[in-house]
Amino acid sequence: MTNPTGKVWQRIPARQEGPAPELSTEEIRAIDEERSHYENDAAAGLEALRIVQRARGWISDDSLRAISAYLGIAEAELEGLATYYQLLFRRPPGAEVLQLCRSSSCWILGCEQLQGWLEQELQVRPGETTADGIFTLLENPCLGACDRAPVMLLGEALHTNLTEEKLREVLAEKRRRHADQSAD
Amino acid sequence: MLTITIDGEECEAEAGQNLLSICLARGIDLPYFCWHPAMGSVGACRQCAVIEHKDEQDQQGQLVMSCMTAIRDGGRYSVDAHAAREFRGGIIENLMTNHPHDCPVCEEGGECHLQDMTEMTGHTVRRYRGPKRTHRNQYLGPFINHEMNRCIACYRCTRYYRDYAGGSDLEALGRNNQVYFGRHEDGRLLNGFSGNLVEVCPTGVFTDKTFSRHYVRKWDQQMAPSICEHCGVGCNTAPAARQPGRPGDPWLRRVTNLYNRDINGYFLCDRGRFGYEYANSPARLSQVLERDNVDVIGSSAGEGVLSHREIPPGEGVEAFARHLEDQGPGKHLLLGIGSPRSSLENNFALRTLAGAEHFYAGLGATDLQLLRLVDTIQRDDRIRSATTPEIEQADAILILGEDIDNTAPRVALAVRQAALNHRRQRAAELKIPDWQDAAVRQLPAPPVPIIFVGWEIPPLADCCTNQMIGTPEILVSFAEAVLATIRKGSGDKDILPAGTEASQDSDIGEVATETAQALAAAKRPLVIAGCGARQPGLLRAAGLIATALAEKKGNAVNTYLACPEVNSLGLVQLLASGDMHLERLQGIVTEARQKGTAVTLVVLENDLSRRLERSQARNLLAEADTVIALDHLPNDTTRRAHLVFPTAATPECQGSVVNSTGRVQRHYGVYEGIGFIQEGWRWLADALSASNQHSDSADQIRSWQHCDDVIRTLAETLPVFSKLPAVSVTVPEGFLVARQSHRASGRTAIGSARHVAELPPPEDTDAPLSYSMEGIHDPAASTLQAMIRAPGWTSNQSIHQFLHGINGPRIGRPEPVTLQRTTAPLPHWQSVELHGSRHQPGENKDAKGLLAIPLYRLIGSGELSNSAEGIASVMTEAFAKIHPADAAALDINQGDEIQLSLGETSLQLQSQLDFEIAPGVIGLPCGLPKFGDIAALLPSQARIIRVIRYGQKMEGDDC
Ligand code: SF4
Ligand code: SF4
Ligand code: FES
Ligand code: FES
Repeated sequence: MTNPTGKVWQRIPARQEGPAPELSTEEIRAIDEERSHYENDAAAGLEALRIVQRARGWISDDSLRAISAYLGIAEAELEGLATYYQLLFRRPPGAEVLQLCRSSSCWILGCEQLQGWLEQELQVRPGETTADGIFTLLENPCLGACDRAPVMLLGEALHTNLTEEKLREVLAEKRRRHADQSAD
Repeated sequence: MLTITIDGEECEAEAGQNLLSICLARGIDLPYFCWHPAMGSVGACRQCAVIEHKDEQDQQGQLVMSCMTAIRDGGRYSVDAHAAREFRGGIIENLMTNHPHDCPVCEEGGECHLQDMTEMTGHTVRRYRGPKRTHRNQYLGPFINHEMNRCIACYRCTRYYRDYAGGSDLEALGRNNQVYFGRHEDGRLLNGFSGNLVEVCPTGVFTDKTFSRHYVRKWDQQMAPSICEHCGVGCNTAPAARQPGRPGDPWLRRVTNLYNRDINGYFLCDRGRFGYEYANSPARLSQVLERDNVDVIGSSAGEGVLSHREIPPGEGVEAFARHLEDQGPGKHLLLGIGSPRSSLENNFALRTLAGAEHFYAGLGATDLQLLRLVDTIQRDDRIRSATTPEIEQADAILILGEDIDNTAPRVALAVRQAALNHRRQRAAELKIPDWQDAAVRQLPAPPVPIIFVGWEIPPLADCCTNQMIGTPEILVSFAEAVLATIRKGSGDKDILPAGTEASQDSDIGEVATETAQALAAAKRPLVIAGCGARQPGLLRAAGLIATALAEKKGNAVNTYLACPEVNSLGLVQLLASGDMHLERLQGIVTEARQKGTAVTLVVLENDLSRRLERSQARNLLAEADTVIALDHLPNDTTRRAHLVFPTAATPECQGSVVNSTGRVQRHYGVYEGIGFIQEGWRWLADALSASNQHSDSADQIRSWQHCDDVIRTLAETLPVFSKLPAVSVTVPEGFLVARQSHRASGRTAIGSARHVAELPPPEDTDAPLSYSMEGIHDPAASTLQAMIRAPGWTSNQSIHQFLHGINGPRIGRPEPVTLQRTTAPLPHWQSVELHGSRHQPGENKDAKGLLAIPLYRLIGSGELSNSAEGIASVMTEAFAKIHPADAAALDINQGDEIQLSLGETSLQLQSQLDFEIAPGVIGLPCGLPKFGDIAALLPSQARIIRVIRYGQKMEGDDC
């Protein structure tokens, strides 16, 4: 049987190869690198999300779609991962991410009051970002520094033995820094 | 058998089971959520906790999850222990903290597993006073509502949708208290089995949206066992009806699953679940119609000219009767056209009325040939037709050309389960019980060989180990290569038939060898094929492969040969000879007309323009002097008929149908229906009784009062149906099975807007079922009871109480009734008969030509379901699917309108470029509205006449 291509029989390729347009070359290189460590591509999904977030700050619907197309993982499955890990952001986070510990030691030592104060001061609820785009407040389980409770992570820095006073200082410091930056 | 003690009572139980299933099978009320009989245990909800005691001395014992506990010999368990009860109470109280408690407005209410379990644990007072988390709900399409606040996070939905049904657009999102079960964005759930979520979810998160439009509580529904009329699988259903209380309400409210272990188990496909709405279509025929303008016969008049007026049924019957008279040689010829979507009763009545020699299948020649091939193959006793559990246990499957996801959907769902069999086997070796779902799914084990060959990648693709697409010709060559390898018993390439693609293309040879080896090595191989592919050669090859395997193994081999419609296989048995197809009928009609004999066609529930090319069908109808049509919905045929009789749809009447495996099943009337509808056979009997016809068969028809009378005559007439009377389920003398529950409401009030008198409920003349709340309610007492509920168990989950063991057969279900076919070995089909479908090589010279082949869609290819409101709202758009390489050669872009000619017919369709279709073919959709006749033309060589560019309606080159 003839046909214009001359090829009549096809064994199905696992997936249409070729980069999805929305991923950058660097992202693709990094994802391919990760992918080589796993038996199947689906396992690289989480790493791919991290790689894209590192490059773009957060994971937009488009980014999700691009990863899905590139790795052949259903969008819903990636969404499941992205919404499971609270440090994968599906909305742009603030410049400074506050992760306040909410586990037992910190709770005994008053993290609730601190959180109340923070929410009041920043006018946000956990998971939200301040109107000026500087702070995002998150709740976190035990940060492993119970001996210095209550504690919080601010970016990558651990702040221990927190008090309202300390929090006020840290926030003021950050605000100043951002004001300076935007003034430049 | 092991001996265990539950709450001090000793009992025997099969080893390897989990404690929860044993308790449930024994009728113990033990609450659970995440366990499901078809999906096993994951131990996620902690609701099924019981106490396990080490030994007699151990008074305190230890809490265990019963669904995760394999029983051990001498094991001592306590469901009733205070600690266990308290724990279960705590679990449900915790689950309920966020629940909205909106039962009065929740559609699950009255058949809710969560309500049942909450009652069962005794959690009747709410102590939690805190705020509840709330979710935004999603739009999930026209079939399913989403109300996430009701979720108790049991994970059943995603386990079913992803793991069991292979869906990829429903996930557990978020975490902790915020976990959310939904899609990544709003949109229709795309899996073809999504409707089962309604029954799988133990709460009101997923409910039936088509049902919402005319909702009634389960206890107010009227139910009877029925058979899904939307394909040849024959799933058992429980349609629910209620007398309309206000104008605009329909009778039929919804369809739910009715457990039949051998066919549908716990699940239906979406066409079966949501297709019911055709019966409520505003277009339904409910009156006898007579054609107004008889002058247009033979003219090429368009739709507009044909009009009908309503006439009283008596008048219609009289008119029909006149056509039955003065028949005979030289006088007047009456020809009956039967239907594969009509019951045995209806078809047999028409056969008796017209005479066997004048009873035609109502199918085109190819359709009939395919069905007869299925019949021939099934008559070989080296071949068995597999039940659903047997499909699920297969350890090597070859699917030859049939897109079962779209032509026999429930079978595809069963094939999907087979994919895990090697893991189950591995689990058994490791002493992991097979109900340990999460563990079994993660075990590394080689995949079960499932080989699909066809021309379009099927939805089942993700669980196929090898899938290939090619032209029909290549598929046949592939099948021949498999056959040769099995016969010779070696992978030697030299044995491949010379001169075929298989001997030239190493890829085909290689896969064929692998396939043959896999099938030969398997303990329970399964070969699947069907009529949908419209390739007699593939069916023959499937038969030969199965018999060759059977010879090798020394025992019968399982097959599944999919027939397209609900009674396809039954219809074939009624034919006097193998060529009673419409093409032959056409010749007879023309001949009679030339001789000046008047011809009357009686068309039973059949739209001829889905069987023949449309103009051919119209010519046939125009050529006859009189056309009498009987049907549920208006169509091209009824529009051309001189007399139209409204017939009862499947849920409105009793009838018997034969599924693809040769099993005879019965559907019962669920409600009476509207207007003057009645069964086709009753119209025929009425007409005959009103006529002056006298003959043996006429007297026979006159004597028929009940469905069973027809069945009895049929059994006496044709030996293949000799066991037929056994489909009539009997109940103890003097009893009826109640269609309504004991607490059905509104009995004296529901009709009071129309009449003040309290009328007695109608009687069912055919079945031992009442149209009221009086009668047998217990599903264990009669399999005619379709409303599945038990004390304390209002939802369908209560089905376990009416089975012989979990996943066992239904209590009281008689042996299945099958066709009594004489056995005969398959003919020794030679290569040329397999390649019989080879298309005239001359035509292939035309490089612009592609072979047009049929494609099917779950939403779109069902004749009746296409008239269902929900299904119609998401109807698949007609398309022509082409491989991008072919498209490039023909200069066709995505979305272009292409005009095709298939023989005499020309069609205009929108192109769809896709790597998932084989090069060399063009896939056309079968059965879609407005394109109902495409199937009849396929396969055939298609010529592309011109291309209209997407968006700019510009003419392309004339090729
Ligand atoms: S949506 Fe239903 S099935 Fe899914 S987790 Fe929630 S309650 Fe269970
Ligand atoms: S598989 Fe066929 S018989 Fe079963 S529900 Fe679907 S359409 Fe109906
Ligand atoms: S509880 Fe806060 S750091 Fe451990
Ligand atoms: S049913 Fe046993 S833990 Fe859910």
